[in-house]
Amino acid sequence: MRGMRNSGPETPVSSYDGSPVGAKAGDPIVTLFESMRPDLLRFALWLARDRAIAEDIVQEALLRAWRSRDALKEQAAARAWLLTIVRREHARLYERKRLELVALDDGVEPEGMPSPPGPDSELDSLRGAILKLPLEYREPLIMQVLGGFTTAEIAQELNLTSTAVLTRLFRARNKLRTMYGLAPAADDAESEGVA
Amino acid sequence: MTHNEARLLIGAEPHAAPNLELAEHLATCAECAQFQSEMIVLDGNIRRALEHGPLTGTPTPVASVTQISNARAARPAKPPSVWSGWALAASVAVASVLVMWALRPGDTLARELVTHVEYESDSWSSDRVVPPATVNDILAKAGVALDMGSDKVMYARRCFFRGHVVPHLVVTTSRGPVTVLVLPHEKVRERMNFHEDGMTGVITPAPHGSIAILALGSESIDAVAQEVQQSVHWLSQP
Repeated sequence: MRGMRNSGPETPVSSYDGSPVGAKAGDPIVTLFESMRPDLLRFALWLARDRAIAEDIVQEALLRAWRSRDALKEQAAARAWLLTIVRREHARLYERKRLELVALDDGVEPEGMPSPPGPDSELDSLRGAILKLPLEYREPLIMQVLGGFTTAEIAQELNLTSTAVLTRLFRARNKLRTMYGLAPAADDAESEGVA
Repeated sequence: MTHNEARLLIGAEPHAAPNLELAEHLATCAECAQFQSEMIVLDGNIRRALEHGPLTGTPTPVASVTQISNARAARPAKPPSVWSGWALAASVAVASVLVMWALRPGDTLARELVTHVEYESDSWSSDRVVPPATVNDILAKAGVALDMGSDKVMYARRCFFRGHVVPHLVVTTSRGPVTVLVLPHEKVRERMNFHEDGMTGVITPAPHGSIAILALGSESIDAVAQEVQQSVHWLSQP
């Protein structure tokens, strides 16, 4: 057998707290989490633009969610809570620069995200345009449209002012307008003023 | 309110109810009203693009518990029993013993392993070799290394299993594809073989936890399991 020995181990997954948790397949909270997995994966995919990374993000997020499940007071809030964990997990990966991020804005196609076949080339083009938005614009747009977060919630989560979030949302859509041959609106917003 | 201020608010929240100031502006500015109409249409398309985007046409890698439950519920029901009362009572007693036996920790683990692998049934048919760096990364996070040919791993994921994220591999062997799950948090006292739902498997004790190896069919897995077990090296305390 040819050698394929690992390089030095990173922090093991289990080192989050090391305590045995013993989630069971029939556990209602596991069922709840699992039922939201497709939504979480979709959300992560739009953020990460890479299927394998998105799947990793979701796995990590589910693990964190399970270990913090006592913090979830109402099941009705589970979706937003899990999406927030996914977003933070993505941010953690992004900020730590553990990944060699490719400049997708330069036209490189995201990995593992095939465009669905179909007659609606307009939507396909729009998907491509969304994926090419810089993260600072794509992230609040995805949070708002896909996640259902309010501007105030996005501002809190991203540590921005509400005005900054509004500006980013405006700019995201303004960039997408041009794809339709529409003239972009004038953008004289002042600097965002990160909180 | 200026045109630009109005368009900033519209562009940021096309579907939001306009505040009084914006409403007044829109009532008197045809251009901004047109801008609002365009942005509402655009936003509807953005929503459709996002909701039916990357996952459309590609399988969800791990089926939801609900899907599995539904699939299982759809299995044909057994015909109703016609046993007499005493036979029923006896069967309940026997069943109780069997349930207690079946719920031994090891057997419960085996059943959940089979269920998990069934969730990821696509894993068996993967025909693309996983890059060694990916495999190494997945395994390293569990504190293990695999001393096996780099062209043998056809599937490698980190999976949520019993409250932990664990490596889930499918490797090519002389017996065909074999699933390997490294379970640092699942201690077993002794080696356990099992057959369930068309799979043959073995759970073996490991320096940290255990290793589960499963294959399709009823053919013995012992030789392959030994080979795989010898290929796994524990690098750290998980």
